[in-house]
Amino acid sequence: MADATTGCVLSAMGMVNALGRDPEESWPRLLAGDQSCFRVREDLVPGRRLLVAEVAGPLPAVPERLSAYACRNNSLALAAIEQIHSEISEALNIHGRDRVGVVIGTSTCGVSEAEAAIRVQVETGRLASAFDYAQLEYGGAASFVAELLGVGGPAYTISTACSSGARALVSARSLLALDVCDAVICGAADSLCGLTTNGFTALQAISETITNPCSANRDGLTLGEGSVMFLATRGAEGVRLSGIGESSEAHHMSAPDPGGAGAESAMRQALEDAQRAPEDVAYLNLHGTGTPLNDAMECPAITRVFEAPPLSSSTKPLVGHTLGAAGGMEAGFCWLMLRNAEAGELLVPPHCFDGEVDEALAGVPLAAPGMRAPVGAVMTNSFGFGGNNCTLVLELEAS
Amino acid sequence: MIGVAIQRWAAWSPGRSDSQAWKAWAAEPQPLVEEGAPDARFLPAMLRRRCSPLARVMLTAAFECCGESDRAEAPTVFASRHGNINESVVLFERLARREPLSPTRFSHTVHNAQAGLFSIAAGNRRGSSSIAAREDSFACGFLEALAFLQRTPERPVLLVVGDVPLSPTFAPLVEEARCTYAVALLLSRGAGPELRFERVAERREAGRLPWPDAVEFLRWYLSGEQRLVLSGPGGGWAWQRELPAGD
Repeated sequence: MADATTGCVLSAMGMVNALGRDPEESWPRLLAGDQSCFRVREDLVPGRRLLVAEVAGPLPAVPERLSAYACRNNSLALAAIEQIHSEISEALNIHGRDRVGVVIGTSTCGVSEAEAAIRVQVETGRLASAFDYAQLEYGGAASFVAELLGVGGPAYTISTACSSGARALVSARSLLALDVCDAVICGAADSLCGLTTNGFTALQAISETITNPCSANRDGLTLGEGSVMFLATRGAEGVRLSGIGESSEAHHMSAPDPGGAGAESAMRQALEDAQRAPEDVAYLNLHGTGTPLNDAMECPAITRVFEAPPLSSSTKPLVGHTLGAAGGMEAGFCWLMLRNAEAGELLVPPHCFDGEVDEALAGVPLAAPGMRAPVGAVMTNSFGFGGNNCTLVLELEAS
Repeated sequence: MIGVAIQRWAAWSPGRSDSQAWKAWAAEPQPLVEEGAPDARFLPAMLRRRCSPLARVMLTAAFECCGESDRAEAPTVFASRHGNINESVVLFERLARREPLSPTRFSHTVHNAQAGLFSIAAGNRRGSSSIAAREDSFACGFLEALAFLQRTPERPVLLVVGDVPLSPTFAPLVEEARCTYAVALLLSRGAGPELRFERVAERREAGRLPWPDAVEFLRWYLSGEQRLVLSGPGGGWAWQRELPAGD
């Protein structure tokens, strides 16, 4: 039986976000630092023109037989799953449906559809008839995927705010190691809705411009949406989930511990779990939300863990903060970096901001467009509401 | 099959708060009470005020289940089918009327609010997961707890499962036993009477038990019966006792 540290390979990945309908579309735009995907929405927060990273164009429809699950969140998930459908079918054939599991991270599910249903109720006294509770309840995100694909193994949703997507991969690795599953469809989906846009507005956490992580002028995050789905298996060729670090903050529901102890602990654990030294890390994908508090906590935590921090970037100025999907999405970008390495070098997504580095955050090298790093381990940070931290290390399966 | 031991347990439902009351219930089980809330006096007043009814119930079981060191040192899994959806409904109604949201109320609608509050109240900095799996939320929570034991076998993990009756807005859409409850289990590898846990082909008819799965598990655990099978939509789960029951 494979052990925990060698046992989990992310053998296929599909994604959809504001940069593109699939990696072929989004990867070149990510590397180019293309910020043209942000749009203004005036219908989300009353009286505010809100900049968001929305997925443009029509999404695949949830099949009629699963209409109880029909919501934007599940259509985003479906768009990502369709890209790895043949790999999933193959895994179901090889292992049998009962040995394949599903773990999905989300913070929204069908909140948007529930909002619409309740708008109708406030006006007419009855919920909108198209609404089904399966759209809204968190568990619906996983059972939709399981029913869609005919998966018979365990299927559950993880919802730990902005670390949900990263945690889904963590659980997938453990389900393989526990020998409960031989393959796990794991990933995340999150969709723009009134609750999150108005909630973060109330927290005064949304930037007036496209988010500016690590800038002296940063004033908040920019929300996005999307989905990423992986097929996690044992032993196949691909990208290995080699390190996991997890911690809680014991501090505050919506603000990180300014000391960054939780973030630091998650990064150290992930390195230890991957049996890697700090200098083995070639790239770090920052949580980098662009809120004053996050970046002020994260960057010093990095410089404590890494004597010479690796080349780093936040990809949130490119796809927005996709909340429950963010940890998975950013693991997806790391996956693309490893899979698309050229001549022993990783192509690094640039850190797009106004260029005015906050001096208090100095010491973390922020990637400019076109930069490369020698192939090595890559790390991604996710820090969620409720003080839920998760750091992942990914690397290429040693050949 | 995965071996696991239950080091301690605790549960709360209106009118039943200690182990004696639950043992009496298990000997003569009956449907649980719908509404009620624990006083949760162990929480500092400021945190207690912020707790949703669900958070009060789940934190009460969690604190009761752990001594001080486990409370601070155990990784945690919080499993709930509905989570804080009742709190979200209030915000959905405000949004429908185009009213602004309270930042505090918004941050307490997240599914991991219970986990966050527990971490703050207990000073717990370990990893934590919050899950939901429709009718299968207890078994999947149990599995998620085993996932923590897989990663850190030396450290007992605290599983807390609970729900409160769904708001009248959505309640007519869901068929289930309506009650307020939380069950907390401190799970470990290797100490105490061992249970074996596995995925099985057996399935139970949907619709089913007059109380939630976690409470049925507790009834079984206290009963001395050899084997328990629970199932959600996808398949079944079996727990089997390795040793005869004994206190």
